[in-house]
Amino acid sequence: MSKPIVATTSLAGCFGCHMSVLDIDEKILELIELVEFNKSPIDDIKKFTKKCDIGLIEGGCCNSENVHVLKEFREHCRILVAVGECAIMGGLPAMRNGIPIEECFNEAYLNGPTVVGNDAGIIPNDPELPMILDRVYPCHEIVKIDYFLPGCPPRADLIWEALVALVTGDEMKLPYEVVKFD
Amino acid sequence: MGQKITIEPVTRVEGHGKVTIHLDNEGKIEQTRLHIVEFRGFERFVQGRPYWEMPVLVQRLCGICPVSHHLAAAKALDVIVGAGTGEGLTPTGEKMRRLMHYGQMFQSHSLHFFHLASPDLLFGIDSDPLKRNVIGVALEYKDLAVQGVMMRKYGQEVIKATAGKKIHGTGAIPGGINKHLTEEERDYLLHGNEYMNIDKMIGWAQDALEFFKEYHKKNTAVIDGFAEFPSSYLSLVRKDGALDLYHGVLRAVDTEGKKILHDVDYQEYNKYIDEEVKSWSYMKFPYLKEIGKTNGWYSVGPLARLNTADFIDTPLAQKEFEEFRSYNNGKPSNRPMHAHWARLIEILHSAEKIKQLLNDPDLMEGELVTKGTKKYEGVGLIEAPRGTLFHHYKIGENDMITMANLIVSTTNNNQPMNIAVNQVAVKVMTGKKEITEGMMNAVEVAIRAYDPCLSCATHALGKMPLEFEIYNASEQLIERKYRG
Amino acid sequence: MSQFVRFTIDGTECMASRGQYLVDAARENGVFIPTLCNYPGVKPKGSCRICTVKVNGKLMTACTTPVAEGMNIENESADINELRKSIIELLFVEGNHFCPACEKSGNCELQALAYRFRMMVPRFPFQFPNRAVDASHPRIIKDHNRCILCKRCIRVITDESGRSIFAYRKRSASVEVVVDPKLGKQLTEDLAQKAMDVCPVGSILVKEKGFHVPIGERKYDKVPIGSDIENMQSTKI
Repeated sequence: MSKPIVATTSLAGCFGCHMSVLDIDEKILELIELVEFNKSPIDDIKKFTKKCDIGLIEGGCCNSENVHVLKEFREHCRILVAVGECAIMGGLPAMRNGIPIEECFNEAYLNGPTVVGNDAGIIPNDPELPMILDRVYPCHEIVKIDYFLPGCPPRADLIWEALVALVTGDEMKLPYEVVKFD
Repeated sequence: MGQKITIEPVTRVEGHGKVTIHLDNEGKIEQTRLHIVEFRGFERFVQGRPYWEMPVLVQRLCGICPVSHHLAAAKALDVIVGAGTGEGLTPTGEKMRRLMHYGQMFQSHSLHFFHLASPDLLFGIDSDPLKRNVIGVALEYKDLAVQGVMMRKYGQEVIKATAGKKIHGTGAIPGGINKHLTEEERDYLLHGNEYMNIDKMIGWAQDALEFFKEYHKKNTAVIDGFAEFPSSYLSLVRKDGALDLYHGVLRAVDTEGKKILHDVDYQEYNKYIDEEVKSWSYMKFPYLKEIGKTNGWYSVGPLARLNTADFIDTPLAQKEFEEFRSYNNGKPSNRPMHAHWARLIEILHSAEKIKQLLNDPDLMEGELVTKGTKKYEGVGLIEAPRGTLFHHYKIGENDMITMANLIVSTTNNNQPMNIAVNQVAVKVMTGKKEITEGMMNAVEVAIRAYDPCLSCATHALGKMPLEFEIYNASEQLIERKYRG
Repeated sequence: MSQFVRFTIDGTECMASRGQYLVDAARENGVFIPTLCNYPGVKPKGSCRICTVKVNGKLMTACTTPVAEGMNIENESADINELRKSIIELLFVEGNHFCPACEKSGNCELQALAYRFRMMVPRFPFQFPNRAVDASHPRIIKDHNRCILCKRCIRVITDESGRSIFAYRKRSASVEVVVDPKLGKQLTEDLAQKAMDVCPVGSILVKEKGFHVPIGERKYDKVPIGSDIENMQSTKI
């Protein structure tokens, strides 16, 4: 039987959730026996090369590119898991949800104490750059999400237990200590 | 019609970026750009939050080196609560933070070398992309993979012992730290088991250096000749010129090693540094004011640190440092791939430092926090794994943040990374009929040498000349945007 | 008439003093009924509804209902727990609860209840309301993003003559709990700390103090809320 295929991506996240996957430490060697990886920032598969079983999504959606990638993941993955607070509820980036986007731009590119030279008032706007959305969206507001793993980041043990359960079809055993929102 | 090559996303780096390369009809490179495609607006949304939340809040910029942001923010707030800059903390406060920081340096550098960069070295730049990753390494070079995994784990455990949690902890608070190291934690880190053992880590750090040097000998052209270009370098150094990753003064040297920024107090960083905004990247371009926009750019990171420092204050790393400097004739190394070498020397240095600190009784007892006369502005600088990291805050009378300015390590490396991308593209793609995957990976290898953390870099949002609509799972339109 | 009454919780025989509220009577019998707005020593309000139980088949708030002879109380049933979980979820989406950077994380009762009821994600859409943070008081910060309007601070924090230092302002959906502008000066250092401790969430923060308790040592890092009651030797009389 072929191994289940896992793909991962980070949208508007900080990569902490991917790092927490690596925090399973020596179990990484077990993990690679258990599953095959496809599109992921940890390898060089930039486009889906096949249908995947599990997609792990870190980060919420803060720009057009995030939305595009998320929909692509939904299309290619049988099961989508929202990993971490950003994917689940936007996370700290959603703290900007009450603030007009222009104020965020102005602060970064016009008002900062070290951008005194920006007399032309340049704010990045090249067509190569994705468009920033008015607010940050939790992933399940854009596509259907099958499972949610909370935490900032989710504890490595939670990610491991969840992956093993999804791969083996067993029930998730989640001790109290592993489900945390911080 | 010319041709446009897009490498997207840049992989085996931390964060989100893409490269565009424009070639003309004759296959000549017209333009290369590393675009940083995200923006998260931290500078704005931290305003109006209480200052003491910053170390915990802003570390969410980055899950790879959260400790750097945690500590840089804490250092800026030390100034605000009147604890001074660096020297002002209690011995316990200062040393616990240093232990946390060396732990992170150890884990982050290990992550970069073993998990992200080693596949290019082990399999070759134009090897099969399906194999060219940490899993490929684990399948073919199991011992090396185990070593990488366990070294990263060790560093993460040091962070957990000092910050309460491996990623996004809470240890540092304005004016100090919130815990001592317990005897149990110390013993676990000194000699907990076969792998949780600081001497084993020092040994492995030396092995990794030997591995690199052996590789260097066999592949001199790849390491020395890859994307070489002159650059200035900036980092913190200790007042006496020693490499110091946690605290010091700001120094910059030019490509020949001549000082161009003379060990200045970083509280005045904005007297020396400005940032240029370009329309095609959400990441800004910092430069030394005195030299100007065009030539004032500089590199930061492990290579920059070993190019600016005079010596290293731990014996094993000092020996390696001497070898590194003499290989480059005592001058700065302008070879981006030497960053791997420098990074490994720093892994060794960090391990030596961790050992010293674990044996220091100050970690286990003594005052945790100190405060003095309150100020309303503070700057915190630290050498993050990827280079100099600037945090600058102002607060109002009511203790709320009124201004935050962050120049992250990777932002400092924006221009050098763009130059490296251009160098490699020109070298490997010019006049080629077909652009292969291997050529594109070569461009990524140049970026990877800087170990960029694009997560950090995207803290700072965009508009496009297009219309963009988002539909949810039930096909309802939830947001429509136009570029205005 | 006896001073004690007999009743059952989820089928188990219990005994308590006549007239005790159900939450207290349950506690004395080693049974945890979750509460948020309730606070020992002040008059119960029954506003958050998290303590809802079925008494003889009818939904009632356990913090305001006195125990009576022969009551059959349903507490740990799938229905009741689902109801409670949905209340927690509603509270999470109604405000801006960013746990990762909150000083109260690990000590927060709302969060602890979410842990206990295994909330992985609220089933309702996040509202992301636009709310202010009021830092005008010299000793405390009132973060309206996190306030669940439980009124604990209004009821517990009083000056020497018993006047509430905290008060409601505005009405309906825009109602806020603020420091009473006239009585704000009476909020001493001790009272400020008490207010922060009384607040079940992170809405009242003492200034310039934060993150002093390391992760691992916070109240709900290792044990679920209510486990102290459940592990207590039942004080059956």
